[in-house]
Amino acid sequence: MSLSRRDFIKNTAALTAASYIGMNLPFVAGEANAADVASWHRGTCRLCGTGCRVQLGINSKGQPVAMRGEPKSRTNFGYLCMKGMMFYKIMNHPDRLTMPLYRERKDQPFKEISWDKALDIAARKFAEAKQQYGPNSTAYYGSGQCLTEETYLFQKIMRAALQTNNVEGNPRLCMASAVGGYLTSFGADEPIGSYANIEKSSCMFLIGSNMAEAHPVIFRRVMRHKMNNKDKVKVINADPRFSATSRIADMHMQFKPGTDLAMLNAMAYTIIDEKLYDKEFIADYAVFRKGKKVLVDMEAYWKSLQDYTPEKAAKICGGNITAKMIREAARMFAKSDGTVSFWCMGINQRKRGVWANNLIHNLHILTGQLCREGADSFSLTGQPNACGGVREGGGLCHILPGHRLVVKEKLRNQVEDAWGIPRGRIAPKPGAHTIKMFQQVNSADIKAIWINCTSPAQSLPNVDLYRKGMAREDVFIVTSDIFPTRTTELSNLVLPTAFHFEKSGVYGCTERRSQLTPKVVQSPGEARPETWIATEWCARMAKYLNDPVVLQTVKPFLGKEMYVEQPQAIWDEYTQKLTKGRDNDLRGASYTVLKQMADGVQWPAPTEAFALTGGTVMKFVKGVDPMATSMSKNEKPFQFYGPAHPDKKLWIWIRPQAGADEEPDADWPMYLSTGRVIDHWHTTSMTGRIPELMRANPYSFVEINPKDAMRYGIKPNDMVEIESRRGKVTMPAKVMEGPIEGMVFAYWHDMHEDRMINKVVKDSFDPGSKEPEFKICACRIKRVSGPKALKPFIVT
Amino acid sequence: MPIGGFVIALDRSIQDEVLTQFAKFSQIEIHGVDEEGNAVAVIDTETSDEMEQLTRDLQKIDGVLSLGVTYFHAEDEIEKIESGELKPTLSFGRKGEKPANCS
Repeated sequence: MSLSRRDFIKNTAALTAASYIGMNLPFVAGEANAADVASWHRGTCRLCGTGCRVQLGINSKGQPVAMRGEPKSRTNFGYLCMKGMMFYKIMNHPDRLTMPLYRERKDQPFKEISWDKALDIAARKFAEAKQQYGPNSTAYYGSGQCLTEETYLFQKIMRAALQTNNVEGNPRLCMASAVGGYLTSFGADEPIGSYANIEKSSCMFLIGSNMAEAHPVIFRRVMRHKMNNKDKVKVINADPRFSATSRIADMHMQFKPGTDLAMLNAMAYTIIDEKLYDKEFIADYAVFRKGKKVLVDMEAYWKSLQDYTPEKAAKICGGNITAKMIREAARMFAKSDGTVSFWCMGINQRKRGVWANNLIHNLHILTGQLCREGADSFSLTGQPNACGGVREGGGLCHILPGHRLVVKEKLRNQVEDAWGIPRGRIAPKPGAHTIKMFQQVNSADIKAIWINCTSPAQSLPNVDLYRKGMAREDVFIVTSDIFPTRTTELSNLVLPTAFHFEKSGVYGCTERRSQLTPKVVQSPGEARPETWIATEWCARMAKYLNDPVVLQTVKPFLGKEMYVEQPQAIWDEYTQKLTKGRDNDLRGASYTVLKQMADGVQWPAPTEAFALTGGTVMKFVKGVDPMATSMSKNEKPFQFYGPAHPDKKLWIWIRPQAGADEEPDADWPMYLSTGRVIDHWHTTSMTGRIPELMRANPYSFVEINPKDAMRYGIKPNDMVEIESRRGKVTMPAKVMEGPIEGMVFAYWHDMHEDRMINKVVKDSFDPGSKEPEFKICACRIKRVSGPKALKPFIVT
Repeated sequence: MPIGGFVIALDRSIQDEVLTQFAKFSQIEIHGVDEEGNAVAVIDTETSDEMEQLTRDLQKIDGVLSLGVTYFHAEDEIEKIESGELKPTLSFGRKGEKPANCS
C-alpha cells in the first residue's frame, strides 16, 4: 500500500526517534526516506553552550525544511530542545536586516546605503578616532555567539591594526569568573573532563544552575542517569531558588543569596574533619594558598575553616540549611565513586565569583574527584562559542589567542611574529573590561565602538546608565547583527550579517569541543558574513591610516571567497600559528578533519591523526591527553601542565565568606536575582520573533515566595513594581515556592522599557574577573495594581 | 503543518496511566516504549504553534520526566513565510524605527 507524503514524513520522524533508543519499528527504511529533504547538513545548534549537534534538512530549492539531532554526537546523542528546533524560523523571518543602514545622528531615521559606503564610513570613523584621540578611543565589543573565526579576526584587527586591546565581549558578563576560577585553581582555563562523566558519576552537585531550563539537553542526561540509577546516584542541588532542576534532587540546599562561600567552606570543613579527603592526591598534586604568592600548609587551611563549622555556616546560610545537611552533602560528595559538579551563572555572576569557583574546585581537589571517570569540576557555558571564540580566540581585553596574557611580552611577541607584524605593535597593557569600556563610552573617551552580535543596551547591568552614554552623538557606534535590537536603536551604522548555516565557521562548546557549521543556506538580501565585513573594513582603514601594518593584518584573507575559503584561511592561521604548543592546541582540528567528524574535536589535539579520534576527553591524564604525555615531568599519571601555575600543581585556596556588594537593608529589604526561562535566549532578539516561544513567555514575570506575597498583599498576576537604587520596572507576579523567602527572581529577557530588569540590577563586579554581580542586589517591591493585559514587545 | 519526532521519558511506575493520558490527544502517535520508559512519539499538528503548546501540555502530565525532540519537519511553513502567506504574528515589521527612549 502506498503511503501519503505526510505518512512518509511521520515514518521518518518515528524512525529517527526510535533509532536514538535502539528501538526497531515495523517500517521499511526506504519509505521513510521519501520525505522531501534533498540533503542533510551537520552543524551545531546556534543557541546555548551545550554544543548540540544538529542536521539541517534542505529541500531541492535550497530551503531549510527539517531538522534532526545528530545521533553520533557525544554531546546530545541526537536529542534537541524545542528552542533549538525552531531556529529555522529565524532564518526566514521578515524582520531580518538585509541592507546596511546609516544615520549621521542618532536622532535621525536610518537610510539604506550600499556596502561600499557603509564600510567606507566605518573605516573613516575608526581611523579618525585613532588619529585624533589615540588607539584606545576605539573599541570592539563582541559575543560568545560569534564564530571563532569572527572573534579571532576582529581582535586581530583591533590589536594589530588599531593598536588597542579594547577587545571585549559579552562572555565577560557570564563566564569571566569561571575563567578566573580555572586559572587560579587548576592553572589552565576550561573544564578538565567532558559531559561523558555524567553517566559515570555517582554524585552530581548542581549549584547555581537551573540546567533544566538553561541547558535542557544536558539536564536530560543528568535526569536519565539519575532515573536509571535511583538509589546509586545522588543529586544535590544548591540554589536559593527551587527550580525545575531541583525536582530531581535528593537534596535541595536552599541558602540565603550570597552565602554560598560559607556553605562550600563548611563542606570542606566536614571533608577534613571526617577525614574524607584524599591524602595521596593532595600530597602528589596540590598545594594550599592564601594569596597568589603566599603558600600555606594544610594546617593553616584547616585553621581558616574553623569559622565555617557546619553549625556556624548553617547560621550564615539561613534558608533550609542545617549543619546535618551540610555534613550529609559533604559525605555524598566525598564518598561517591565519582562526583561531578556543574554550575553556571549563579556562581559566576557574583561579586566574588572567582572565589566561589575556587571553593568548588577545592572540594574536588581535596577529595581527588578529578581526572577519573565520573569526576569533574565543570562550569557550564551559557553561549555556544564563549569558550571557543572568546576564551580561546583572544576575545577579552587581557588575553591574546591561545590563552596568552597581554601583559607578557614574550607572549605578545609570539603573536606579533605569527601575524608578521613588528614586535611592539600590540599594546602592552590590557584594554578596558566590559563595564570600564562602557564607562568610557559614557565619558566619550571611546569615540568609535563596534558591537557585534550582542545587545549591551539591554544586557548590561544598570543598563540605563550605559544607554545614556551609547546615545551620545560624539560616540560613533557600528552594530552588526541579524535583527534590530535595543542596541541598533543607539547605533549610527547597522550592518546586516549572515546567520548560522548562512556562513561557515567553528563553535567551541563547554567541553573544549570545536565543531564546524557549513554554509548551506543563502542569507537574505545583502546580509554578509562578519569575516568578510571585518576584512573589507580593515582594508579600507589601511588607506585612511596610511599604515602598511593595517593592510598586513587582513592581507592573508583579502579577496578570498567569503563563505568557505575566507573563514577557513582565518581558522588555519589561528589554529596552526596561534595554538601550536598551547594548552588549547587545535592544529589537528583542520576544516578537513572537522568536516569528517560527527561531533568535532576536543582539544588539545595537536595532530590530525589524534583529532580524528575525537581529541582529548580528559585533560592532564597521561595516555589520554597527548600534552600530559609529552610534557610529563615525572612518573605520576596526572600532569597539570597549565600555563598559569609555574609549580604545575593544583591550588587549594583559603577564601573567606563574602556577601553581595549590595545587601538588603531597611529601605531596600529584598534580594533581587535574575535569570532565564526555557523558551528564550538572552535578549529575545531571536526567540522573541518565534511566536511559539514568545507566546509561551510573552513578557517577564517576577517570581515571589508565597510568604513575601502575603506580606506585600500580592496575588498571582498582580502588577508588581521592583525598584532599586538604580531604577524600577513593573511586571506581573508569579507567586510560587521558587525563590527563597526574602528574594524575588525576575526573568531578564524582556525588551520592553517597563520590564527591562537590567535597569534595576547593580553594575558592581568581581575585582578579579570583572564579571558583574547580576545575581544579587537589593530592591523593594510593591503591588501596583491587579492583573493587566500586556503586550509582548520586540524592537523592530 | 509540522511533524515532530520525540523521545518522551516516562516514569515507569505510572507508565500506563501516562499513556492513557496521551491517548486523549489525537495529534500524538506512540510507536512504542522501551524498558527504560522511553516512548517514541510522533506529533502531527496544524501549526508549529500548536505543537509547541502541545509539548508544553504533555510536560505537565504527571509521569512525564522529559520530552526530547529528535526530528522536526517544518513542511510548508517555510514556503508560506517566504511567500508572505504566513507572517509570524508577533512581527512588527521594520517600519517603526524610532530613536531610543533612554528614560
